[in-house]
Formats: sequence, structure tokens, C-alpha cells
Amino acid sequence: MIIIGERINGMFKDIARAIKDRDPVPVQEWARKQEHNGAHYLDINVGPSSPDAVGAMTWLIEVTQEASKLPLCLDSTKYDAIEAGLKICRRPAMINSVPAEKAKMERVFSMAAEYGAEVICLAMNEEGIPKNADVRIALAAELVVVADGFGISPEMLYIDPLVLPCNVAQDHGIEVLRTLREIKLISDPAPKTVVGLSNISQGTKNRALINRTFAVMAMANGLDAGIVDADDDELMEAIASARIILNLDIYCDSYVDVFMQRNR
Amino acid sequence: MTVEILKEKYRNTVGEVVLGATREQGGTRSHTITVGGEGALPFLHFEGSIPNRPVLALEIWDLAPAEWGPLFEKYYGDVWSDPGAWASKCVDQYGADLIQLRLKGADPDTKGAAVEECIAAVKKVLEAVGVPLIVVGCGKPEIDNALYAPIAEAAAGEKLLIGVAELESYKAVTSACMANQHNLIAQSPIDINICKQLNILIAEMSTAMANRIIIDPTIAALGYGIEYSYSIMERARNGALQGDKMLAMPMIGNVGIEAWRTKEANQPEADEPAWGEQEERGILWEATTAMAYLQSGIDIMVLRHPETLKVIKATIDDLMQDNSY
Amino acid sequence: MGLTGLEIYKHLPKTNCKDCGLPTCLAFAMALASGKGSLDSCPHVTEETKSALDDASAPPIKLVKAGVGDHVVELGEETEIFRHDKRFFHPTGVAVLISDHDDVAAKVEAFEQLEFHRVGMHYVTDMVAVRCDSGEAGKFKAAVETVAGKTKKAIILVAEDPAAMEAGLSAVAGRNPLIYAATAANYEKMVALAKANSCPLAVKGTSLDATAELVEKIVALDYRELVLDSGARETSKVLADLTQFRRLAVRKKFRPFGYPAIAFTSKEDPREEIVQAGAYLSKYADIVVLKADARQQLLPLLAWRQNLYTDPQKPIAVEAKLYDIGDANENSPLYVTTNFSLTYFIVESEVESSRIPSRILAVDTGGISVLTAYADNKFSAETIAAAIKKSGAEDKVNHRKLVLPGYVAVLKGALEEESGWEVIVGPREASGITKFSKENFA
Repeated sequence: MIIIGERINGMFKDIARAIKDRDPVPVQEWARKQEHNGAHYLDINVGPSSPDAVGAMTWLIEVTQEASKLPLCLDSTKYDAIEAGLKICRRPAMINSVPAEKAKMERVFSMAAEYGAEVICLAMNEEGIPKNADVRIALAAELVVVADGFGISPEMLYIDPLVLPCNVAQDHGIEVLRTLREIKLISDPAPKTVVGLSNISQGTKNRALINRTFAVMAMANGLDAGIVDADDDELMEAIASARIILNLDIYCDSYVDVFMQRNR
Repeated sequence: MTVEILKEKYRNTVGEVVLGATREQGGTRSHTITVGGEGALPFLHFEGSIPNRPVLALEIWDLAPAEWGPLFEKYYGDVWSDPGAWASKCVDQYGADLIQLRLKGADPDTKGAAVEECIAAVKKVLEAVGVPLIVVGCGKPEIDNALYAPIAEAAAGEKLLIGVAELESYKAVTSACMANQHNLIAQSPIDINICKQLNILIAEMSTAMANRIIIDPTIAALGYGIEYSYSIMERARNGALQGDKMLAMPMIGNVGIEAWRTKEANQPEADEPAWGEQEERGILWEATTAMAYLQSGIDIMVLRHPETLKVIKATIDDLMQDNSY
Repeated sequence: MGLTGLEIYKHLPKTNCKDCGLPTCLAFAMALASGKGSLDSCPHVTEETKSALDDASAPPIKLVKAGVGDHVVELGEETEIFRHDKRFFHPTGVAVLISDHDDVAAKVEAFEQLEFHRVGMHYVTDMVAVRCDSGEAGKFKAAVETVAGKTKKAIILVAEDPAAMEAGLSAVAGRNPLIYAATAANYEKMVALAKANSCPLAVKGTSLDATAELVEKIVALDYRELVLDSGARETSKVLADLTQFRRLAVRKKFRPFGYPAIAFTSKEDPREEIVQAGAYLSKYADIVVLKADARQQLLPLLAWRQNLYTDPQKPIAVEAKLYDIGDANENSPLYVTTNFSLTYFIVESEVESSRIPSRILAVDTGGISVLTAYADNKFSAETIAAAIKKSGAEDKVNHRKLVLPGYVAVLKGALEEESGWEVIVGPREASGITKFSKENFA
């Protein structure tokens, strides 16, 4: 599974304060730590309370890039901030995210095509998050078709079927798993899939247990990437084990160590 | 119309290992041999770099190999009581890229040679030829473990390839190689999981040694389970190219020993007329075994018959021709 | 093989009319892709669409047959790049080339001898290729007639001159020979001949691009019983082209390469030729044509073909019976092992190299190894004792001692009781047999 480290996000107090004071230290610490723990991408989100999203985004990107060589996942609903960010990313980035809404798709896919960026696509539209898998899949297919019109290959897309907390929307879990499976039937090459893992456990007890249980179930249904807490060792060990069971890595007795060290 | 060529994108390449050292490098070899380094599946030059050709060793022993029979006496009988002369003939006359010396004599069931005799045999071969040298024990860990350190020390600087480390017995040989800068054969019994685990254990002893491992996945001869080792090698090489660093080492196979143990290589034509002429059949049994392993990613093969070496060398020449589109 | 949603969507009307009951054509396409709907639910699809979708759902590589009766060679319909991912299905046809300049009768008689028995299996050289080197239609026809009269195996006719091909074909009408080959220069006539005789047709290009182009032209003439040849003859180039044929067909469903492939050796030295043929057979020729025709040359090649095309998921068993190793007599030792082929062969090879005539009893464990079979109760005192009785060992030896694999030493007591034989515990690994036998039986 491709690990997108979730921690550089203005929703967290230390990052919000760092953005406000323009203090690079907490940001760079998290960048290094997540890279060390096996992240392949770093999510960059200025948080809901930044008055100047563009300025905050470009500053976060700059200081993160000083500390880590990992590619970035620019996470914002403000596309101006994403575009400003794409201009200064040193390696091809990922855009997080676009729903299946016409105007937004046009804006995002044209940016993605221009900057060679991958795109996280949300299986939702103006009507909100679909209740069942069939509608999610149809929206995913629409995203693939529209992206194709901009010359973007399905492999550049990460479809997010949208995970809801299991304590309030328990019936969505199984729909999300089916969506993950059937997204692979859209095209060849198929689009990739991603979930924001910790959404599944919002407001529950046993968050870490629910997160890693869902992670391996989602992997078994074909999940390619997750926006996750790379600092959660037990989660990473569960992912390592799932990779063995899915025959993605060759087993040996020390497989957990090998997985944890592969990015170090 | 233009066909869009399908090239795999790999994340990793196989590590390179240098065998032997010249005088300037602290050894006495006339040249070194680099193996590994592949960035593509075997001979698919069109999708990645294949910087080094597979190399061919001939196997010699530190005593005359009575069980090789009259067929090999024709080729080696005049020299096989002297490992130096034997090695020279293999290199000068038969064109071996390198020599594998098997210290069969150390086995108490043969002549039970003392450590000093084994060292003398290694030195004789080093003096006789300029090519890099592979040295393997008699096959009994309890005997071989006592040989590795003194031999590694006596040949310090030569960057030998020494074997074998096995899961049950890898520490003595790894330490010996570590201390004297030699390369190491890590052997696993037709089992990819053990193959990977052994590499990890060796790397844990010394990260430097991780870059000096040659994998011996244990190969079977044509007709005797070759498809198992063929597939294990294909899986290991695919794993290596896809980023599994603990499988990203060059591979070696004892083709000669396995092929010449088979009934098909040894049965006289008189006993099995439908199988055709014996020596030619044996050569092709060995050569076909070797061919298969070339296709599954082997880097070093230890052969026995000089004619097999000749035909496989010619095949490698052909396969190393660029096939980029 | 299923179609993807987008592949189906391409053929739908894209009107979002909702007549199928779904909100959009895309949603309908996805429902079909996941097997939840039927194309009939859309009242607007044309026959053309239906046949386009049928075509698109065909297997990545077409199955093509040459020859007739018991000698049909099935080619293609492969789905894998690596045998370990599943298996290879249709073994490469191995063809020996005979020129119409040769002593054709002698050659084909020699070819007929190229069948082998080893380790309980029967290997067959399954095709013969007759090549028009004379440039004379009459001579070629005579050669083909001679071949057809002396073998029932599948025939490949090699001639690029349509007149010669027509003559050759007339001699083997009804034998379903492979016509080799349609080229850019002759393809219209060759296709007509193939159609008239309903024979498979090889398509010979001068590059991958040219081959794909020629295939499309022939498919446009509505002929699809095809076999591919990129025209390359250098080992490394052929390997690359065969790899592209297989990869593009399987991974990309690239239709022009969705046919079996044929490769010709170019080496004159028979040893180099066998090795070259072996490389093509490994990666990924469906037919390999070679000149070598001596038994000692074909046996190794056919053994490799058999090994490569085994099913990796299925353990391979040898016949469960008593095997004589060397000149075994009534005093020879008796080893017991399982009938898993790899186990058996390793034991056999070690017993053989001990040079002490012996017998090995391969117990039927369904082709699994000693320890697995023991754990599964398939290698137990009862099964071994029963196998001894059934094998007739009691009449063949006048002693009552058997050697049991060291790993299952625990069975000794029960087996002695059950069989009445004395059990000698042998080494755990087969590699210990030579020493063990010297100590016990020399």
C-alpha cells in the first residue's frame, strides 16, 4: 500500500501554530519522522482556519521540501492554493482532491495535466456522498472518462470511495469495500484507489484497532493507497502482514523488519 | 502502424558484485569479473540495462574425481591429480571465465585432507591462473566450518567467492569472508523464503556483506525438478526488480554437478538405444539445463563439460546483443 | 475474460436514456463489467455492437490448431507471462525441418523415431516442416506427398511462392497443415489458399510494426486462424519480439498479437541450435522449427518442454510402484519413499550414484513429499505396508529389510508390526544415501 502521511495538517494544533508563527521546526520534524516511518508521500493541508491559504500552502511546501525528498500530496479545497503549490513542488505532486462535479473536474484535471500531477478523485458529486456502491462506481467511472479527455491516464488517478465513521454510518463500510473491488473493472489500466483511513474510526473507542482492521480489509479488496498515521507501528505491521498474505511481498521470517526498513 | 512496445518499469536493480582483485587492488588476479547489475529480466535489453554478461566457471577438485568416469578422463585425466594444472587447462584450453575449486578432499570419506593441504590447493590454483576463484567446501558443514577462516585468511585480498552459507550454518563462513573482504555464496534449499531470510541474517551480521552475497537457490537438473528452481529464480528476480532488496543479489548455480548426476547424461547408448549417443546427450542435457537458467536470471554457472561451456558461451554472446526497439 | 467498464461504454449509445433502468450509460457499462447486468437490458444496442463486444471479450491469445485426429497440435490460448503465476497451457509444438532438396523419405523416417520414453512419460516430436528450397512447385509437392505418406503428425508447409504452396497443399488436403507464410507481398493469395483449405496461416512480417499491420490486413479479409512470425532470426531479437507478442497480447489485449507465435532457429551447429530452440521455447514460442533431428538432440529439448509446461500448483507424481535401480537382484536393498516426483528423482539419483543395485518403492501419497504426506497420514505404517504387499516386493527379494526415510523414523515400530519387515532408519536427507548405503550395503 502506498502510504500518504497525514500529519502535516493545520487541523493538528502544533501545525496550526507553526503556520501562524511561520515556525518550520514542527513541520520539518513531522516530515522527517513520517519519511522514516515509511511514508511514500506527505499530505500537506493548511487547515480550516488559515486566512491566507495560498501563502500558508506555499510556505508549508517550502519548509517541508527542505526536510524531505518525498513527493507531496497537496490537500485543499481551494484550488488557487493547490495551483500555487504545484508551481513550487520539486517533484510531481498529487492533488487532493476533486469530486465528480463538472467545473471542479475541469479546473483540477487541466492543472493536473499541466503539472503532471496525480489526482485523488472523490466518488461524490453535488448530491453528496452516495449511499451505495453502484453510484460511487458510476461516479468513479465518470471521473476516469473526464480525466481521459484531458489526456490523463487512469493510472494517475486515485479514486477515494469516501469512508464514513463506522459508528454513525455502519452500512457504508461494506459498500466502500465493494466499490474498491469494482473500481478495478472501470478500465485497463485501472485507476488506483485511496482512502482516508482514520475517517473510519472518527469518534469511536479503539481507533487504532479499527483503523488497522479496516486497512487490511481494504487491501484485500484491492486498495492501493491510504492517507494514514505513519507513526502507528501496529498499523504498519498489519500492512506488512497483509502484503504477505496478498502475495505482494515474498515471505521470510523477518518480513516485518524488511517492510519497516525498506524506505529507510 | 506503430506498435507501442511494452516495457516494464522497475524500481530496483540487482546489486553488482566484483569477484577477484588485481595487484593494484590487493590481490593477484590478472583481472576482475563483475556480475549482477541487471535492471531488466534476462536479456531484455530493450527495457533496462544488463551491464554484465553471465559468466561460466568450470569445476575442479583437490583430488582426482574417480566418480566422473572415463568420459571426463578424456578431458581432465592428464591434469586432475594437480589442481593447478587442472585449473590452467580449464582456463587456457577450455576458456573458463573463472574456476570453482571444490575441496572434496577435506571430506573424511575421501582423503580427509588437513586444513594446510586445502590451503595449499587454493594457493596452487591462485598461482596457476589469473582468473577469479570460487572456493567451496566438501559439503559437510562440520568439516567446512573449520576451513573457511584459514582459507579466507590465506587468500586475503583475493576477493574469492567462498561457499557455502546455509540457514543452519552461516556464521563461520560469513565471519571469514567479512574479515578478509571475500564474497559469499548463500545457499537455500529450493526455497525462496529461506533464501530471503538467509540474506537478511547475513546482512544483520554485516551490512557490508549484504553487498557481497551471491545467491545459490540450489538448482535441479533438467528432468529432475528444474521447473521448481526455474520458477524460484524467476520469482526472486522479479522481486528484486520490483524493490525487494533482500533478493536483489546475483545468482549462481551448480549446473554441471546436477546435470552429470542424471541417468540421461550417464546411460550408455547400448542400454538405452532410443535416447541416442551418450556423450552428445550428456552435453546437451547440461547445456539445456544451463539454457533454462540463463532464461530465469542466473549470473554465474558452474559447468563440467568443456563442450557445454563452449556452446553456452556462444549462446550468451548472442543473447547479449542489444535488442532495443 | 471480462471487459472493463470503459471498453463496454465505448460501444454504448451514450444517450443516458435510462431505458435500462440505470441513470447513465456509464453506470450500465459498469454494471455489465461487474457481471450484474445483461446487454439485452439496453434496447438500443445494435448487432454490430454485440459482435464488437463479443470480439473484445475473446481470450487474449487465440487457440489455433494444426494437424488432424490424434495428432492435432493445439497452440496458443496462453494467459500468463510467468508459469509461476498460474501455468502455461499448450506445450510448444516442436517441428523438424525437411528441405525438398533433402532425401525426404529418409528424413521423415528419422523424424518418426523422435519419440521418447523417460520416467514414465512419453515425449513426442509433434510437427514436421517441409520447406520448398527447390523453387519448383512439382518437387515441393512430391516432397510433401512423401512426408504425408510416412507420418501422421501435423505438417507445416514452408513456401512463400503461392504457386508452390498451392501445389504442396493439394498433397495434404484434409490434413490441416499450417501454411507458412503470408507476407506483405503474397498475403492475398495465401489468405485465399488458407480459406479454401480451412488451414491455419502463419503471418511473417519484417518487424513488429509490419507484422501487426499485416495481421490487420488479413483480419480485414476476415481470416483469423493465424500464427505470428516477426521475421527476426537473431537470438536476442527473437527473444525480444516473442516477449512483446506475449506481453502485448496478455497485458494490453493488443489484438494484432493475439495469436500463437512461431520461431525458426538460425544456428547451424546442432548444439547451439538446440540451446537456441530451448530459449525460444522458454520465452514464448508456440512452435519452434529446427533442423536438428538426432535422438540425443531432441530428448533434452522435449524434456525441457515437458518440465516447463507442468502445472506448478499440482504436485507431479511418478507411478507408485517398485523401481529397479541398476541390476537389482533378490538380495538388493529396498528403499521406501513417496511418489512425489521431485522426492523420488532425488532419491533415485542418490541411490544410483551409490552404485549399489537397489530397489525403490514409491508409495502413492498423491504426489506429496515425505513430511507432508506423513502429516496428512498418507505416508503411514498402514499405507507403506499395503504398498509393499501390492508392489510384489515380497516375491522379488528374499530378505525382509526396508530403508525408511530418516524424517519419519517414528514410524519404525508400527511399520515393523504392520508389515512384518525389519525397518532400517535411513538418512533424513537424500544426500546422505550414498554414505548410508556404503556403510550398510557395500
